[in-house]
Amino acid sequence: MGATHITEQEREKALTSVKKSEVIEKQKLNVRYHVENYDATDRPRRFLEAFAAILKHTNYRFALDHFIRVSAKCSRCTAQCPVYLATGDNRDIPCYRSELLLSVYRRHFTVGGAFRGRLFDNGELTDKMIQEMAESFWNCTACRRCTLECPVGIDHALITHLGRFILSEIGIAPRALVVSTREQLEGKTGNTSAIPVPALLDTLEFLEEDMKEEKGVDIKFPMDVENSEYLFVPAVSDFLMEAETLMGIAAVFKATGGSWTISTGYYDAINYGLFYSDRMMERIIRKLYAESERMKTKAILIGECGHASRSAKYYVPVHCGGDKARPVFNIMEYTHRMLKEGKLKLKPDCITDTVTYHDPCNIARQGWIVDQPREIIRAFCKNFVEMTPRKRENICCGGGGGTVSIDEIRSYRTTVGGRAKADQIRATGAKYLIAPCANCKKQLRELVEDQGIDCEVVGLHDLIYKAIIFDKDESKQTMQVERKG
Amino acid sequence: MQEILDFARGPLFRLTLALMILGLARVLILDIWGAISAYRRAGDKKLVWGDAVIKTIQWLFPVKRVFTRRPIYSLFSILFHVGLILVPIFFLGHVQLWKNSIGLSWWNLPEFWADLLTLTTIAFGLALILGRLGSSSARYLSRKQDYIWIPLLIIPFITGYACANMLLSPSWYRILMLSHVLSAEVIFIFIPFTKIAHCVLMPLSQFILALAWKFPARVDDKICTTLKKKGAPV
Repeated sequence: MGATHITEQEREKALTSVKKSEVIEKQKLNVRYHVENYDATDRPRRFLEAFAAILKHTNYRFALDHFIRVSAKCSRCTAQCPVYLATGDNRDIPCYRSELLLSVYRRHFTVGGAFRGRLFDNGELTDKMIQEMAESFWNCTACRRCTLECPVGIDHALITHLGRFILSEIGIAPRALVVSTREQLEGKTGNTSAIPVPALLDTLEFLEEDMKEEKGVDIKFPMDVENSEYLFVPAVSDFLMEAETLMGIAAVFKATGGSWTISTGYYDAINYGLFYSDRMMERIIRKLYAESERMKTKAILIGECGHASRSAKYYVPVHCGGDKARPVFNIMEYTHRMLKEGKLKLKPDCITDTVTYHDPCNIARQGWIVDQPREIIRAFCKNFVEMTPRKRENICCGGGGGTVSIDEIRSYRTTVGGRAKADQIRATGAKYLIAPCANCKKQLRELVEDQGIDCEVVGLHDLIYKAIIFDKDESKQTMQVERKG
Repeated sequence: MQEILDFARGPLFRLTLALMILGLARVLILDIWGAISAYRRAGDKKLVWGDAVIKTIQWLFPVKRVFTRRPIYSLFSILFHVGLILVPIFFLGHVQLWKNSIGLSWWNLPEFWADLLTLTTIAFGLALILGRLGSSSARYLSRKQDYIWIPLLIIPFITGYACANMLLSPSWYRILMLSHVLSAEVIFIFIPFTKIAHCVLMPLSQFILALAWKFPARVDDKICTTLKKKGAPV
């Protein structure tokens, strides 16, 4: 990773939003994303009340206590933060960002801090500090790379996560996320893209016809089948934008004879709560889990989506009964297992173009899904090149932490957030960039477009779809169709 | 003068040492207690302990980390820490002091190594100060204590080295020895209340990290009630 910062022109371009929002001007809040129209009076008091309420009912306090005791301000995290490496702006140092919130905690929620603050009459939370936090916490892509590099073990991502949560309680949160979550939890359609059930069914029917035509095999999307093994829930935007990924997944289930279903009751795994509010995350998780209970499935299977997989995998147990909760898997785990068990057959060297793989932060940082997709890729791709760094230490696509959904900051995402990633992609010279995550895909497509990189961004199952082999009878049919074609 | 020195080396040493130990025990207990309470409240109690153990060991002995990122800074920092930890505990003179004050004695460093480590600690300490002053990002982050600590930490090393290796007149020896002992005692007192508390808290970090993401179950309702937001739209 080169440490060259962006140029002045690039910086200017990155920091101007695509659309100027009236809402922002009305609120006199100088941020580059939309916020909901909210009450801007008396913010420090409301911030502290929200902070206190959150500390009372959650587990953050002990971590904050630990962090303020050990923070050594060594600036080592600067070597890892893609945003800081792009901007070179000291306000983007992860440790500085964390200090914004830690200083509020120290001053207002610890005895020593309150004493020192009163003695020297300083450090009290001001409107300006809230302003700075609102800006800073949303500049971060929540990729958690800084946490890897902190010698004393401060989790800057956790602090940013908490900071966003508190801000959201006083109404400061990106409008795009809030509006989507509102539709998901309270809207008629019950999903973030507002896709009604008839449209969903139409889409899937259309895809089934497509697959029949292309593969000569009857591949179905089983709808509302109770007692299935897996309740399959992708990021709902996949139904609109990632048809090939869904077709690949359906084909894998067909070839392996897996028992799965999509429920018309709830079909959206997106959980923006992970990015801005623990309360919303909890509601969405409970909604997801309730659906799996209603459909009586044995497990929940999340599609190609990093944040959706992470939130479901780690927070279904938290909110729905710990060990006893239904297990959550990512689709790549299923496909990998089937490949290992020999149930899934892929044409070796089917893809001859150069292929590279982008690790979505939310599933790779903790080492959960890093080797499985690589084994799958090697099974059917001839030229697989790796990026460096990768796996647990991968670099964020630049749209992490929910920022990808904020269209107003596209220029920021593709100039600052994704700069390091763009360099990485260029270095591989790959034709296909596999990114098994709805958010990463959107961001990377915008990134390769804005940065002028000649590369196609695809999901893993998009390519699997090209390489999949069905068992004898069905593959005969396939061959005939191919010959006809 | 001799009486002051004896007092500083005797009762005052024991007092400040006790304060340090109690202070560190306090933060350690608070930290562990916090972690236990958090674990009790966590909705999901399954922790990947092995991962935390490996990361902890990797950071306690960061050999692997040295040459990956910021190698010079890392190497300096590690060598600084090595002398900082070993010399106060294992230098022969100190071993005798420990024996006199707390009644325990242990293996001591050969004189050559003790001298070498003292010099490296001083040298790398100075280099780290220069590094902090020379890096705009580090300067931007630094608080007062970040500038004070390293100079404070190397005072006893400089004075200690002088006392052990230089031919000094008895009065100079006593002055230097007194500043050696007193500076160490100042350090003892401040360790538990400042960032140097990481000397005992750091091994807990990775466990706390793993645990911190384990939230308590179902807090939405409670937070809504406290903030009087019940029934409010998303």
